[in-house]
Amino acid sequence: MKYLQLIGLSIFALALSPGARAEPLTDAKEIVARANLASYYNGDDGRSEARMAIEDAQGRRQLRQFTILRRDHADGGDQDFMVFFSRPSDVRGTVFLVAKHVDRDDDRWLYLPGLDLVRRISAGDKRTSFVGSNFFYEDVSGRHPEADEHTLVETTAEHYVLESRPKDPGAVEFDRYVTRIDRNTFLPMRTEYYDDRDRVYRLMEVLAVEEIGGYPTVTRSRMSAPLDGGNTLMEFRYIEYDVGLPADIFSERYLRSPPVDWLRRSGE
Amino acid sequence: MAGSRRVIALVLLGLAAGPGASWAQAQTPPEDDPFAGFDEEWDDPWATEDQGLRWTGFVEGGLGARNSDVAGLDRLTLGELRVRAETRYDHADFQVEFKGDLVWDEVIDSLETELRELSVAFRPLASVDAKVGRQVLTWGTGDLLFLNDLFPKDFISFFAGRDEDYLKLPSDAARVSVFTDLVNLDLAWMPRFEPDGYLYGERFAFWNPAAGAVVAPQPPRRADTPDTYELALRLFRTVGPIEYAAYGYTGRWKQPVGLDAQGLPRFPRLRTFGASVRRPLYRGLFNAEFAWYDSRDDRDGTDPATPNSELRLLAGYEQELVRNLTAGTQFYVERIQHHDRLLANSPDPARERERWRTVVTLRLTHRALQEKLTSSLFVFASPTESDYYLRPSVAWRRDDRWLFTGGFNVFGGSEEHTFFGQLEDNSNAWLRVRYHY
Repeated sequence: MKYLQLIGLSIFALALSPGARAEPLTDAKEIVARANLASYYNGDDGRSEARMAIEDAQGRRQLRQFTILRRDHADGGDQDFMVFFSRPSDVRGTVFLVAKHVDRDDDRWLYLPGLDLVRRISAGDKRTSFVGSNFFYEDVSGRHPEADEHTLVETTAEHYVLESRPKDPGAVEFDRYVTRIDRNTFLPMRTEYYDDRDRVYRLMEVLAVEEIGGYPTVTRSRMSAPLDGGNTLMEFRYIEYDVGLPADIFSERYLRSPPVDWLRRSGE
Repeated sequence: MAGSRRVIALVLLGLAAGPGASWAQAQTPPEDDPFAGFDEEWDDPWATEDQGLRWTGFVEGGLGARNSDVAGLDRLTLGELRVRAETRYDHADFQVEFKGDLVWDEVIDSLETELRELSVAFRPLASVDAKVGRQVLTWGTGDLLFLNDLFPKDFISFFAGRDEDYLKLPSDAARVSVFTDLVNLDLAWMPRFEPDGYLYGERFAFWNPAAGAVVAPQPPRRADTPDTYELALRLFRTVGPIEYAAYGYTGRWKQPVGLDAQGLPRFPRLRTFGASVRRPLYRGLFNAEFAWYDSRDDRDGTDPATPNSELRLLAGYEQELVRNLTAGTQFYVERIQHHDRLLANSPDPARERERWRTVVTLRLTHRALQEKLTSSLFVFASPTESDYYLRPSVAWRRDDRWLFTGGFNVFGGSEEHTFFGQLEDNSNAWLRVRYHY
């Protein structure tokens, strides 16, 4: 009888935390694909406010504050992003529009309010600083899972540890990177980028995860440059998923006149 | 005058010396919260509209000087202390925007107020956006070359080394934008014609056909602005990654390129139409644009006191060359419609323009130090007129508050009546220090 009760409890426990007890995945590709979805494709769309504290090697600090709207065309597929800057005052009113494509270069536009100018930005290198921070454009919008060769090097009690090497080494500044992906949430919790002398020159750490609308979501992370010094702390708040963003928001019209109803926090 | 110049120099020095001192104070927020003092609203999810107006802006000092003497003109081409104030009011049904400058301008020795924007934006219908009031308007695909954008431009600011934003002058306009599935329409109606900020004798010298020399007319005198309206429209549509647009304009030549019966400069009537396309190509961006300038007061091209009609064509390509270095190049031509008649009727055919004027531009932009240091070079060169204009500049964004910018405007050419060649004596160096609040 006691055995039965124990078994029943165990089954109950298993049902409660399927991830932790489930058979670990062994296919690196599948892990990366799920990490990509968990990091960038929660819900069909989303809105969030974000801010970054950028600290350089001298300890000087800069700040950025912006609101992000996102809409997915398909999970793991094309996405539209719009980033509305509110701080600091010299970039206030600047809007960044990205049509992210899986099979070709992204389309990018920047609206400069001082000139009333919608400037198109050439596709260019996605591994350059996002608005002066230690994060790259690619960190914000996601790196294509197919761009690297992934190997599962270790499965710990909590993490999958993957090593990734670029298929086109000439296109990137790293030699390889190692990612610890949470086995439950599939969120990458720590990524170390190695240079050709096998030194970690770039480090991403997740500092806080919250469950929002049923999706575990990174709300605080840091990208640092251990060799040069300097780091960027990024925080997300007022995150909402599946808000029903219309497709036409992501257009020149709303670069010039921001969609105030969608930028407002819910309940305001 | 000398006294106030000293004041500006002192203020500039003060601005330049300031960052260290003020940063020391700004740099001591509690260690565990890098966002301290950044945004008081962030931590209060219930904070709503009633925050009052939020004012932002900057204080900027600028100095610039020409490298050659010009009769009647000061060496100083930029000498100002500028205070910018901006605010915005968001209502559920409309938005009001204000941007204004208060400037002490040493070159013209006066205190000026400049209203850059005071506009109301609203949405009369779900598919219509309207913005009424003073506003800056821009469209077209050129980079510092404007074919179908006939909104006013301030070349004095541009040549003096003010921020590139000041190249665009505001218009008093009603702008209505209609969005449909087929095509979008922008319509801008300006009840009063607003000319460019053209050269007229203040600050810069230019070719004066009557005098047959490069001079700065003294006293400086602007042409009379006709009391007529301007209407500009744009039809545009984006299909996948390709942007198409068609344009029209009716109004006046934006500079007083005509002469009236008394031989005084005037703004002849102008109508234009054109089209553009912009799309990704290879690893960069390609754009092409054309405009037909219909000079309505001289359609036959026989009146030497009025410009001929012209065709203007532009093709451009931009690409990131290596990480953080972007290059853009443009090829631009103007073709005079009745060039033979222009020559036949000209009082000075030797100095008239060629039938074709071509301009090649190159822009190089390099970003370093996590985008804090931006170096840029813009080159205009005309093979047909053998003249050029170079704009090298460096901008150091020290932090969110301080911006230091410096550069040169270098003009030259083998003849003194060509577009850039006439500006040779205006070549100058400039420096600006800006503090954002």
